[in-house]
Amino acid sequence: MSCEELKDMFELYALGVLEPEEKAEIDAHLARDCKDCKRSLADAIALNAVLLSIGPAEAPSKRLRHRLLASIGYERPGWFWAGALAAALMLLLAVWLGTQERERSNQLADARKELLQVTGERDRLNQAVQFLSDPETKPASFGRGLEAPPRGYVFLHPQLGVMLIASNLPAAGAGKIYEMWVLPKVGAPRPAGLFQSDGMRGLHILSGPVDVDALKAIAVTVEPAAGSPGPTTTPIIVAAAGS
Amino acid sequence: MRILKLIPALVAYALLQVALRREDDADLVHRLKAREPKAMADLYKRCGRLAYSVILRVVRNTGVAEDLTQETFLRVWNRVGSFDAERGALTAWVLTVARNRAIDHVRSQGGKLEANAVDLDRLERPGMFVDLEANALTIDRARRVKTALEKLNANQRAVIELAYYEGMSHTEMAERLQQPLGTVKTWTRTALQILRSELTEAAVA
Repeated sequence: MSCEELKDMFELYALGVLEPEEKAEIDAHLARDCKDCKRSLADAIALNAVLLSIGPAEAPSKRLRHRLLASIGYERPGWFWAGALAAALMLLLAVWLGTQERERSNQLADARKELLQVTGERDRLNQAVQFLSDPETKPASFGRGLEAPPRGYVFLHPQLGVMLIASNLPAAGAGKIYEMWVLPKVGAPRPAGLFQSDGMRGLHILSGPVDVDALKAIAVTVEPAAGSPGPTTTPIIVAAAGS
Repeated sequence: MRILKLIPALVAYALLQVALRREDDADLVHRLKAREPKAMADLYKRCGRLAYSVILRVVRNTGVAEDLTQETFLRVWNRVGSFDAERGALTAWVLTVARNRAIDHVRSQGGKLEANAVDLDRLERPGMFVDLEANALTIDRARRVKTALEKLNANQRAVIELAYYEGMSHTEMAERLQQPLGTVKTWTRTALQILRSELTEAAVA
């Protein structure tokens, strides 16, 4: 076939839809470096491209771009920074949540501590009421007639133990504590527990059976914070049993 | 309502305007050859929607069209080494690769022979896209060809559609349209002559 006869076939040739024999004709011309046919082919490719470009425009999803660029190891910086920002925000959120959680735990621990204190106070008051209301309780006073306080009462009960209530009792001082002693009629003073004053009053209970009849007195001394096995200072309170 | 019908065409022209900046082609090809990933982002910005639109028109499935669009750009990325930066028409190449990927996919679905794939592969070699007429793809040319396409009669438009978007030969078209082979050939030849002359006149103008 002549170049002229082939002229109308180049678009279909470039599209790959020519019949095999027609395709072979064009291939032969191109193989001969036929200039007219080369020009016709270039024009046909241009027309094909124009025709392909004028169809309805459709938009792919945004993720296609990311997918494509990711496949060659490239991501748009904006997205990188958006990712980094998101990661930073997540980190901040995690830290903030952690702080909140810690704060909540601390609050919970404080509340638990407070509850224990309140429960302890309530138990002590219950004990005190029990002491005061029981007919077997024997009171003993101290500090009467003294110019300087403290003053108060000691209550003795054979089963409940010993309760001491003192007023005008100053704080024991830094690193110091009050220690109560049971002074038997015979023998050395026995430690009967440590307590603090709130600056004005002091309440201390030694729970458990006490041989009231063998008891000579109840005393209180100021001792080092850990307490002492025996009194190391002069008692500031001495309440004689039966006084 | 008529103005609404024009919107896809206006969008297409706007895309073409971006895609057909021939003066930037050489620079973009050089950067693609240098394996600059940013060049791929620029190429996609320029031709992504066009390529996807061509592919979708052939395969009619958005998921498949996206896969084939990705394949198209990766093929260009991998073969750009032998593309002539100064004489090559980059957009024409990308559109051809896109169309061929889509046709190849449809043919493989239909169980067609591997030989077709080899043939399409040969027809999209970078060397095929050199020395197209300067400004082969311009907005003006696209507009004129589009107008000419709309003026074709229904039979002529049908055979163009079957050749470009379904990859059919004359024999296949004759079977599909149940027309004599000679008639189908005449429709195709006449349609292409009209479109070709419009393109030539646009070049002269």
